[in-house]
Amino acid sequence: MIVTVLSNPNHSRAVNCSLQRQHSQLPAGPARSGSQRPGNAPAARDAPAAQGCGPTAVVRCQQYPPLRALQASAALRGASDEHKKEPWASSSQQHFDSPPAGHQPEQKPQGPHPSYTGQGGQESEDYESEEQLQHRILTAALEFVPEHGWTAEAIAEGAKTLGLSVAAAGLFHSDGSELILHFVSECNTKLSELLKKEQKLVQLGEAEKKPIDEFLRDAVEARLRMLIPYIEKWPQALSVLLLPRNIPSSLNLLTSMIDDIWHYAGDQSTDFNWYTRRAVLTAIYNTTELVMMQDSSPGFEDTWRFLENRVADAMTMSNTATQVQSTGEAVVQGLMGAAVTIKNLAGLNQRR
Amino acid sequence: MTEGINKPVIDRIIRVDHAGEYGANRIYAGQMAVLGRSAVGPVIQQMWNQEKNHLKKFNELMVAYRVRPTVLLPFWNVAGFVLGAGSALLGKKGAMACTVAVEESISEHYNNQIRTLIEEDPEKYKELLQVIKQFRDEEQEHHDIGLEHDAEAVSRILGWGSWRSRK
Repeated sequence: MIVTVLSNPNHSRAVNCSLQRQHSQLPAGPARSGSQRPGNAPAARDAPAAQGCGPTAVVRCQQYPPLRALQASAALRGASDEHKKEPWASSSQQHFDSPPAGHQPEQKPQGPHPSYTGQGGQESEDYESEEQLQHRILTAALEFVPEHGWTAEAIAEGAKTLGLSVAAAGLFHSDGSELILHFVSECNTKLSELLKKEQKLVQLGEAEKKPIDEFLRDAVEARLRMLIPYIEKWPQALSVLLLPRNIPSSLNLLTSMIDDIWHYAGDQSTDFNWYTRRAVLTAIYNTTELVMMQDSSPGFEDTWRFLENRVADAMTMSNTATQVQSTGEAVVQGLMGAAVTIKNLAGLNQRR
Repeated sequence: MTEGINKPVIDRIIRVDHAGEYGANRIYAGQMAVLGRSAVGPVIQQMWNQEKNHLKKFNELMVAYRVRPTVLLPFWNVAGFVLGAGSALLGKKGAMACTVAVEESISEHYNNQIRTLIEEDPEKYKELLQVIKQFRDEEQEHHDIGLEHDAEAVSRILGWGSWRSRK
């Protein structure tokens, strides 16, 4: 969580709309929620600068030690631009100013990107939100993870490739939590898209519908294969994901991934099966992931064999459960039939 | 269908309604188990069939909106049946009184949901609103049927009602 707004009510600072100097002025249309219309820099200095920027906006003010963020953001910009912030009474989404001159003037934001909690920011064309910037830094940082691990160093290197100062790593926690969560979220998104594509092929009749065990196996394998480039440092990532601070987010990501897999597998249960299926698949996924950490066989074939066996076990269990249930029902019916027969024989069923 | 909707609100609505219909099903099942062969059996059976339809509809909505079912389903399974059978053991009046009480609270509950959805966006949730309104009307019918067969309760309620209006 990064602070972008320094709420310092004693200073009458206004939002720096110097972005304008590098981009064409946005049309003064109705402000979309979450976007900010740039006011003129001089106008923004006035107290009623709220009118200079969009009337509707969404606030994301996160409280953090202001000093750290100040240093980080100042270092980030590195320019001599005077950056003024104004405490918004209502919500407003702050945008990061464009990075210093060394960076390309082209600031094409790549559309709404999900942060690791899956919330996208709605941005107008020329603006890059803080979330998008973080997203870009983290994506760039992934390349350096095999070398530096899930650390601030990797983030710093990533920031460097984007032309930002290494102090950008100060935007994130030192244990690499955001980087890992970002990575997991990206992998889950990739998996969703893969499954959706496959589903479309089946719907168009261009592919055969896979039996459930094969589908689950392939989905889990596809997802775990995304870890392969980072497998050396993944145990470290797993331990970070288990930090109490990260557990809500990581649990959320895990459950939504498992739910996605079952959804595309065609699960339509509306009873307690919904829970048992997801619990079983979660167990399969987690154990296979752990096996993968220890696996040194070529191409991880041991892991895939383990996965196959676990999925087969699960199928067997569910078949057994169904069989037990139908056997039980048959037995009960047999007993009822026997009871009625005996009553008939004993003449207890006759009407008098 | 699932774009642009207020997912948490819709989730909760569908989950609760599904649980409610499931519970109602089990209540009627319990009542039928005891009173099935009595004179009031066909009436209960007919109400039960309507509840089965309601449950079917919510099952469909649950899949369409990708809502998770409540964890307490096994509990409602048992509790509903016990409530239905228990009230039926008190005789026809007991069963009908139980029906009246349950249907009344369900109707109120549906009305609250209709209000919530209308406050949110009546256009976006038109289909869901239609379903809930229809179900609310049918639950109200059950409530009235229960009252019909529970004449004693009716006269007591009417008496209380007229006493209140006199105040």
